Amino acid sequence: MVEYRDQNAPPGGPYQWGMVIDLDRCTGCEACVVACKAENNIRIAGEDEAAQGRAVYWIRIERYWEGEYPNAQLKFMPVLCQHCGNAPCEPVCPVYASYHTPDGLNAQVYNRCVGVRYCGNNCPYTVRYFNWFEPHWDEPLNEQLNPDVTVRSVGVMEKCTFCVQRIRGAQQTAQKEGRRVKDGEVTPACVQSCPTEALVFGDRNDPESRVSKLAESDRGFGLLEELGTKPAITYLKRIK
Amino acid sequence: MDLKRRDFLKVVGLGAAGSMLPGCGGETAKLIPYVLPDEEIVPGVANWYASVCRECEAGCGIIVRVMEGRARKIEGNPDHPLNRGKLCALGQASLQGLYNPDRIRGPLQRDGERGEGRFKPIPWEEAMSRWVSALQKHPGGAVLISRPVPGTLAGLFSTFMKEISGTVFFYEPSAERPLRAANRKSFGIDFLPDYDLANTTYLLSFGAPFLSHWLSPVHFGAAYGRMRQGRPEVRGRFVQVEPRLSLTAASADRWVPIRPGTEGLLAVAIGRLILEEGRTNLPRGDRSRFEKFYASFSIDRIANETGVAEEEIVRLAREFYTAASPLAIGGGIASEQTNGTDTLVAINALNLLVGNINRPGGIRFFRPSDFPASSAEVVGEQALLDLKGPSKKASRSVLMLYQANPLYTLPPSTQFRQVFEEADLVVSFSPFLDESTAMADLILPDHFFLESWGDHVTEGIAPAAGLAQPVVIPRYDTRPVGDLFLGAANRFGGGVKERLSWTDYRTMVREQWRDFFDRRQPGQPFEAAWVEALQKGGWWKPEGKPVSISQRGAPSAAEPARFEGSEKEFPFYFYPFPSMGLHYGQGANRPWLQELPDPMTTVVWGSWVEINPKTAQEYGLAERDLVRVISPYGEIEAPVVYFPGNPPDLISVPIGQGHRAYGRYAEGRGVNPLALLAPLIDAPSGALATGATRVRIERTGRKGRPVLVDQTGQGTRRHTEGGEGEA
Ligand code: SF4
Ligand code: SF4
Ligand code: SF4
Repeated sequence: MVEYRDQNAPPGGPYQWGMVIDLDRCTGCEACVVACKAENNIRIAGEDEAAQGRAVYWIRIERYWEGEYPNAQLKFMPVLCQHCGNAPCEPVCPVYASYHTPDGLNAQVYNRCVGVRYCGNNCPYTVRYFNWFEPHWDEPLNEQLNPDVTVRSVGVMEKCTFCVQRIRGAQQTAQKEGRRVKDGEVTPACVQSCPTEALVFGDRNDPESRVSKLAESDRGFGLLEELGTKPAITYLKRIK
Repeated sequence: MDLKRRDFLKVVGLGAAGSMLPGCGGETAKLIPYVLPDEEIVPGVANWYASVCRECEAGCGIIVRVMEGRARKIEGNPDHPLNRGKLCALGQASLQGLYNPDRIRGPLQRDGERGEGRFKPIPWEEAMSRWVSALQKHPGGAVLISRPVPGTLAGLFSTFMKEISGTVFFYEPSAERPLRAANRKSFGIDFLPDYDLANTTYLLSFGAPFLSHWLSPVHFGAAYGRMRQGRPEVRGRFVQVEPRLSLTAASADRWVPIRPGTEGLLAVAIGRLILEEGRTNLPRGDRSRFEKFYASFSIDRIANETGVAEEEIVRLAREFYTAASPLAIGGGIASEQTNGTDTLVAINALNLLVGNINRPGGIRFFRPSDFPASSAEVVGEQALLDLKGPSKKASRSVLMLYQANPLYTLPPSTQFRQVFEEADLVVSFSPFLDESTAMADLILPDHFFLESWGDHVTEGIAPAAGLAQPVVIPRYDTRPVGDLFLGAANRFGGGVKERLSWTDYRTMVREQWRDFFDRRQPGQPFEAAWVEALQKGGWWKPEGKPVSISQRGAPSAAEPARFEGSEKEFPFYFYPFPSMGLHYGQGANRPWLQELPDPMTTVVWGSWVEINPKTAQEYGLAERDLVRVISPYGEIEAPVVYFPGNPPDLISVPIGQGHRAYGRYAEGRGVNPLALLAPLIDAPSGALATGATRVRIERTGRKGRPVLVDQTGQGTRRHTEGGEGEA
């Protein structure tokens, strides 16, 4: 029998989940965007709501035009919740719906959220999405929904969770076997699909993990890191 | 044989090891779950089944997560050599094809005039009789237009049509045809090669959209990632030459704009420089043919015609021939011209000159697996247009459609509609009511691919044959198209019945695989190999042996492309390009893809016209203004989006919207830019030259409503400041 251990205290100390996004690999193909929608039961807004700016993407590809023809350039940057170590969205939540887990996730407790949207206001990355409408799927599109993930109702704030359902699943398996989660064992949906392997996910507390090693790259930087948000996502600069 | 007996695949129950499906004559077919290494399994009661994606022609291996008999999520099959666990947006969204609310739920017959789009249900038995007796009444006059189905189904279609003296066309609206034609001229090889992007050090691409929709985008995406950051010391360089800054060009180190249709000339100039500067290792015997051809071209004249400066041409040539393993590829806008094939031959010549055939980082030829697929060739638009030519093959005949939508993908100027109008009976096997199916008299709907047996031979990349099993119980009263053709063969009797004597399509697939395994590994028990193939999602070899080429064809022509419409009256080049999410329109009925922001403009749920911002301002056009785009053949109206990656004299519009049928998410949304095209063809390949029509624009004075979801990108440029570096 393996002795029961708290999931946040695996052998060798807690996890610290993080991601590396290599901008030199990202091609803007958006496979990650659909993979995330599929995995996390993200609602379809439709044309009218999208026109009001109410479409929801937990991960989106930002694009930046620079220069003019014939020297125009376009750059892609996948942006999702940065799971800030020092998250501006957290202290402003009056009901503690937005909080930090010991393993470094910026979690959102949907059934606690009262919809004041202070968190959305305070997030410098604008990655929080408010559910202005009750989610709706034309029958039988609802049959595809992932039973591991709740459908968020109208009036709550939602955002990327680093596919927490997959993380917890892998942690439980590891825990049962009395070991740590191995590197590469948890893969969020976006990371799994990305053809170019621009996205890498793992435990920053494991110095041997791919994510830890890549984050050491001298190409690494944090998005708006001058704000002191301490993002858990390290971007690697595109090379020109 | 009574089809009802073979009305298999009905729910009885779900076993823990997979769905138990009652087969024909009481035979049960047990579905075999994909075996994931333990640590990759996401807990919950989920089974994963391996199959093959059919959303584009690449045929990536997929695994489907099935819970309580419902498909919940699709991932790439980690074992499949093509995509190695990766999957694109279309593949991810195929669940929305399976669960699409507008699927055809059973056989239908026309109710009202042809093309009115009104249908009423008809029993299967009656539908089958009508179809088969129509075929019998038109001996030799039947035509089947099918999407390419490389595998058992291609064999079935070909055999059936041959036996009833009909014709089958495997048609796909893409520029693959010029590529094949060019490879035949250059290398004497018929099948598509593999471009070893992953190991190249210098990639020179002439318009090939390999990061969005060309040949096998996921395969190339993965290879691209490795080319950039997958090797310890080398970062592959990548230069894209094309008129418009495409999604693929956005990832390039350098984008070299060029005048449309002159890409082949640029390749000629580079080739000439390689020879002149003595950097070829072409065998002496071959060299003279190349020298002879290049002799009549001068670099400064080419600089003038292409709009690429002479220094840039010299730089490209030097970069190319000094690279450790250079690779030149061509496609997309470069090949979608009236001189498309010649352009690609000129690009191939660069590879021949530096001798990178069958070398790592170069072009490699792998013979497709010897799986007994039909060798049926994919045809270009010309072959379809010949149906209404003088021979009038299709008039007063039976026209059949299998997942081909020529009334959407062929411009009205080709008058292909005639073929539908003249046919005695139009039969469609499509699961969706697309534009062409809406013109049918009889609809015998196929299962969706996730409900079907099937296989898919991969061409180019190392030999592989994917195997598909139904991962869910068919939802509606649809039937596998393979069963329909076997059933028809049976009703026909005679030769066709003899050649196609299988009781059902699943058995046919299984028998093909039995033959295949018997030949490969004689004496080994089939059952174990079959189960393993189902479990793994097919059969493949880790790495094939490249086939040597028989021929080193020098380019023979570098004619400039022809354009329809005078420059004076129609001052703009026009380029309709397959949209990232909707491709050639087939993605338009998937809400996820409709709501997927176009990566370059962030537009969702509609069409837009891309114009260089300066040009737009000259015309007094602001973003979102509704503009009329007019060609000698038609006009469309769509809102303007400023596109800094367009040359001042080029207008581009994505293909994919503008459906008149195809369900609630697609219908009546945006415009189809193919409507403007002239019926111009690249003669050697028979492919439509989609880049060959000129247009003009007119203001309408009205505002459109393109939905841009770019709420955050604008004005937050500080994001990028950390994002760029020198290296
Ligand atoms: S990115 Fe925004 S939502 Fe995510 S933790 Fe940081 S502040 Fe909060
Ligand atoms: S980590 Fe999961 S939730 Fe976050 S963007 Fe990726 S797929 Fe979506
Ligand atoms: S899937 Fe990967 S390459 Fe494609 S947009 Fe997302 S991060 Fe970029």
